Amino acid sequence: MAAKGDMVYAWTTSPDIAKVAECGGAVTGLLKFALENKIVDAVLAVKKGVDLYDAVPTIITDPAEIGQTAGSLHCGTLLISKLVKKYLDGAGDMRIGVTVKGCDAMGLYELAKRNQVNLDNLLLIGVNCGGSVSPVSARKMIREKFGVDPDSVVKEEIDKGQFIIVTKDGQHKGISMDELEDEGFGRRSNCRRCKMKVPRQADLACGNWGVIGDKAGKATFVEVCSEKGANLLDAAVKAGAVATEPANPKGIEIRGKVENAMLKLGDKWRARYFEGLGEGKERLEKIMEDTSRCIKCYACIENCPICYCVDCSTKKTYLVPPGELPVPFMFHLIRFAHISDSCVNCGQCEENCPMEIANSLYMHSLQTDMERMFGHTPGVNMDLPILALVEEKAERERLSATGSDQIFNVFE
Amino acid sequence: MTETNGKLRYVPTTCPYCGVGCGLNLVVNDGKLVGVEPLKRSPVNEGKLCPKGATCWEFVQSPDRLTKPLIKKNGKFEEATWDEAYDLIASKFKETYEKYGPKSLGFQVSCRTPNEECYIMQKLARVAFKTNNIDNCARICHGPSVAGLSLSFGSGAATNPFEDVLNADVIFLIGSNPIEAHPLAGRRLVQAKKAGKKIIVCDPRYTPTARLADEYVRYNPSTNIALINSIMYWIIQENLHDAEFIEKRTTGFEDLKKTVENYADVESITGVPTERVKEIARIYAGAKNAVVIYCLGITELTTGTDNVRSLGNLSMLTGNVGRPGTGVNPLRGQNNVQGACDMGAYPNVFSGYQKCEDDATRKRMEELWGVTGLEKEYGVTLTEQITQCGDPIRAMYIFALNPVVSYPDSNHVMRSLEKLDFLVVQDIFMTETAKYADVILPGASFAEKDGTFTSGERRINRIRKAVETPGDAREDWQIFVDLAHKLGLAGFDFNSPEDIWNDVRRVTPSMSGISYARMEKPESVHWPCPAEDHPGTPILHREKFSSADGLGHFFGLEHRPPAEVADAEYPFTLMTGRLLFHYHTRTQTDRAKLLHHEVPAGFVQINTDDAARMNIRNGEKIKLTSRRGEVETLAKVTDQVAPGVLMMTMHFGDAAANKLTNTALDPLSKMPELKHSAVKVEKITGVQ
Ligand SMILES: Cc1cc2nc3c(=O)[nH]c(=O)nc-3n(C[C@H](O)[C@H](O)[C@H](O)COP(=O)(O)OP(=O)(O)OC[C@H]3O[C@@H](n4cnc5c(N)ncnc54)[C@H](O)[C@@H]3O)c2cc1C
Ligand code: SF4
Ligand code: SF4
Ligand code: SF4
Ligand code: SF4
Repeated sequence: MAAKGDMVYAWTTSPDIAKVAECGGAVTGLLKFALENKIVDAVLAVKKGVDLYDAVPTIITDPAEIGQTAGSLHCGTLLISKLVKKYLDGAGDMRIGVTVKGCDAMGLYELAKRNQVNLDNLLLIGVNCGGSVSPVSARKMIREKFGVDPDSVVKEEIDKGQFIIVTKDGQHKGISMDELEDEGFGRRSNCRRCKMKVPRQADLACGNWGVIGDKAGKATFVEVCSEKGANLLDAAVKAGAVATEPANPKGIEIRGKVENAMLKLGDKWRARYFEGLGEGKERLEKIMEDTSRCIKCYACIENCPICYCVDCSTKKTYLVPPGELPVPFMFHLIRFAHISDSCVNCGQCEENCPMEIANSLYMHSLQTDMERMFGHTPGVNMDLPILALVEEKAERERLSATGSDQIFNVFE
Repeated sequence: MTETNGKLRYVPTTCPYCGVGCGLNLVVNDGKLVGVEPLKRSPVNEGKLCPKGATCWEFVQSPDRLTKPLIKKNGKFEEATWDEAYDLIASKFKETYEKYGPKSLGFQVSCRTPNEECYIMQKLARVAFKTNNIDNCARICHGPSVAGLSLSFGSGAATNPFEDVLNADVIFLIGSNPIEAHPLAGRRLVQAKKAGKKIIVCDPRYTPTARLADEYVRYNPSTNIALINSIMYWIIQENLHDAEFIEKRTTGFEDLKKTVENYADVESITGVPTERVKEIARIYAGAKNAVVIYCLGITELTTGTDNVRSLGNLSMLTGNVGRPGTGVNPLRGQNNVQGACDMGAYPNVFSGYQKCEDDATRKRMEELWGVTGLEKEYGVTLTEQITQCGDPIRAMYIFALNPVVSYPDSNHVMRSLEKLDFLVVQDIFMTETAKYADVILPGASFAEKDGTFTSGERRINRIRKAVETPGDAREDWQIFVDLAHKLGLAGFDFNSPEDIWNDVRRVTPSMSGISYARMEKPESVHWPCPAEDHPGTPILHREKFSSADGLGHFFGLEHRPPAEVADAEYPFTLMTGRLLFHYHTRTQTDRAKLLHHEVPAGFVQINTDDAARMNIRNGEKIKLTSRRGEVETLAKVTDQVAPGVLMMTMHFGDAAANKLTNTALDPLSKMPELKHSAVKVEKITGVQ
């Protein structure tokens, strides 16, 4: 019987899945099992679009189609969390199995705190994540740094600190991430700063770190993170959908070391980025200057897993007069005020910004300051944030009308 | 066939608004559009969108969509079957043609519509009615670009891709405000600035793009030629021109040199001090690679074509053509303004700019299309067709255009349309223009059909059907196929847009290498691309120019004042422009909640000093009057415009700038002078 905290090597027993999966195919095998046995109504995972640089989220309801989603797409810089809220009714009346990276899992927790998704209906299969690379930048990097036509690449992976590509004619080529990133290529800036490497808030956390010996490359390292996860694994093993063996203690140790090294690397990047921002007034001026290019596309709000308000304050005309360029700084102040305590550094607000504004850097820097001050870490559990959204005018009216001193009522 | 069930289906497609051609994903749940998500794989925009692109799905499912063919009976529109509508159109057009000949018909197509539909419409007009009276709305935005760049370089298209500005050392923008009008091209400027490239912006208005500039030059509206001539004078004077390039690759330099000699000091015309002109000349000419970007501030004038040729002069003078980081690039206003012209929806060319007047070309087209007697003469252009309504044009077919709002002098347009015997309007909404129609055909939006748009960088981008058309509405290409069959035409047996595209390839050598299969990848292909194994041509004029003699052509061009200048009676110069948050006549953008929130009503920008003098407060309603009409609109008091200059948005029917604008035409391209007219400003008494 599996239990929370267990660590096993797991692999799919289906040769079809094994062929297309990233390592052991445990993730795909488990999702298929969950679908077949009506543990979930649908699976939300990622499939290859026009090529391996094109990661497309997809809903699968027919277990026979699950193979499309096997394999890791390291150019898949998408965020799954907000899709669940926006297009799947927050899993309100559908049980969904979802593959989640660290940022996906954190975003889902933050949405759940705000009653925007129903975690009870979600089965979260976490994947460890060393980072992802934006697709267009990846193609450029492959052309310029690897000297390879990006269309001839059949597989890419991030392993042992290298970005590795395999071409049609079977050639392997790897270049160290450090070198690539020093030249402006490599992982997105938020991924460099990310410290959610093993998503333990999911039901299972799966990865390839720590799989050694004869199972290397053929099994998935699975850490059981919840009772739901344990039950799924047990049932799947019992039914013969996946097979497991206890993880090699040496492998567990290696995995721990790699995780720690990645966390240190994250700290290094945070220091680098945050120091570059300066402090206090200097930082504020930098942010004001950079954000003054904003063209109000609302991508930083639409794609943010913290934003959910139907009546977004940025659309209140007494706060932000509409239609004005340069956009009044209040537009950005509202975001900072409403989000910074809970930002999970998913990077969407920056990657999708048409004016190249380093939104996630600013928000993440504020978040880490707040975390230091108040000890609240977003995205890891259901603890409520320090600040909650308060629409001041409405709130003051409510307070005076009810005589209540309870400001934060939005999470009821 | 589209799937009708299932959740979270992503349909990769292309933004239906501006000519940047951003990729995006339409999200479909159970056969209904539910949103737009980033398409990060697109090399054009990497998933990023402007406010218009981000909300482009909302109008598609508007309850106001046309869903049934309508026939006007006794002044009222009545629902009809497709067969009734087709029969009526076929018989009326046939009858008019037989009675009054090819000159009695007019065809107008929007550059919003896909290539396949532009192509099939012009094929139908030319094959069935032997008329060249077919034009598209590039006429009122980039007609001068096509005319001017063709004369200078031998090809009317942008020379280099958007991303290529990152290879330039100096970026020279004039009459262009991409941060608002083409935001994802504007993004390239932001990137260039971050990479330390120098940006020069010449604009009468201090626009959001001007804010990015290292060098901002404010000059008087519509004095482009004088300014550019002066810059060239100083380049030549200081010996900064590229003599080798001029010698080897161009002709006409002496003519230019002689002309610009009179332009050493143009401050009295342009308002720019000579020292400043010299500085700009040195920066531009001093760059290893310099690119020119322009837009409608250059073209929508009676000097449009000459303005464009002036920019051709400037770039050739410094040898800045035919390499990465150089060139002359018009930013295309509408999603398919490039494609509509490429497809031959133009009065003197077939697809790929093959000239109708050329006997061999016509013969070849007759063979390929299996017809005889194709028309040779230059057809009637878009706005001239309006003027010819009633005589000799008696029947007109308007496809996805709203002339009543978007053409100059709206009153004139309305009066003209009333003179027609028969008008067909094919659209997705009941527009101001559709009200004048005898038959209205409900078409499909970009989300309801397959096809291609050609962006301003000559990249042919796919659009893909995501959902079904509402009610009885039909995909527009299908409507033309049906009509062709009603008219008994051969050569219209198309079962899909891809079939039509393959017909385009068959008759258009410069695009024959571009198959739908090659367009699957978002990189797609930049035309010219004459063969399947040809990589396409992102940069034009590399070895030689596309002109017949292979050379670039200089022209000595004199400054000419606009047709109507400010005077004692009408003391203000009125410019018009596009807003970040709206598109054209707003039939689409105003149906997006967000865009309506940002700018619900039209306004006019007026300088702070002018406003103070006239006691006009910000937000106050004022009256503008020109020789043609008057409108009331809200004053936006700002220093973005100079004293004496007004800038009005083009998007609002109730405060239509085009009631004021001038119909005077550029002699070469027939572009009306939308960007310059003289008006007076009055306070509305009683209104506070
Ligand atoms: C961007 C990325 C970085 C990773 N980095 C590491 C790492 O540094 N160390 C480590 O131990 N493991 C990492 N992994 C996890 C690892 O690659 C495998 O996914 C994991 O070991 C499970 O293997 P499997 O064979 O069971 O997976 P499979 O059965 O092949 O299933 C893979 C699952 O991942 C989903 N998926 C693919 N791409 C994405 C994406 N971009 N976003 C969200 N979901 C996606 C698929 O839809 C599928 O459900 C990373 C995964 C991703 C996506
Ligand atoms: S933010 Fe973290 S979890 Fe998300 S993709 Fe980047 S590295 Fe992975
Ligand atoms: S603020 Fe930006 S980085 Fe932070 S959670 Fe929102 S979208 Fe992600
Ligand atoms: S994504 Fe960028 S441009 Fe868009 S609203 Fe946010 S900051 Fe402004
Ligand atoms: S820049 Fe143009 S093509 Fe891109 S999203 Fe905006 S309107 Fe659409």
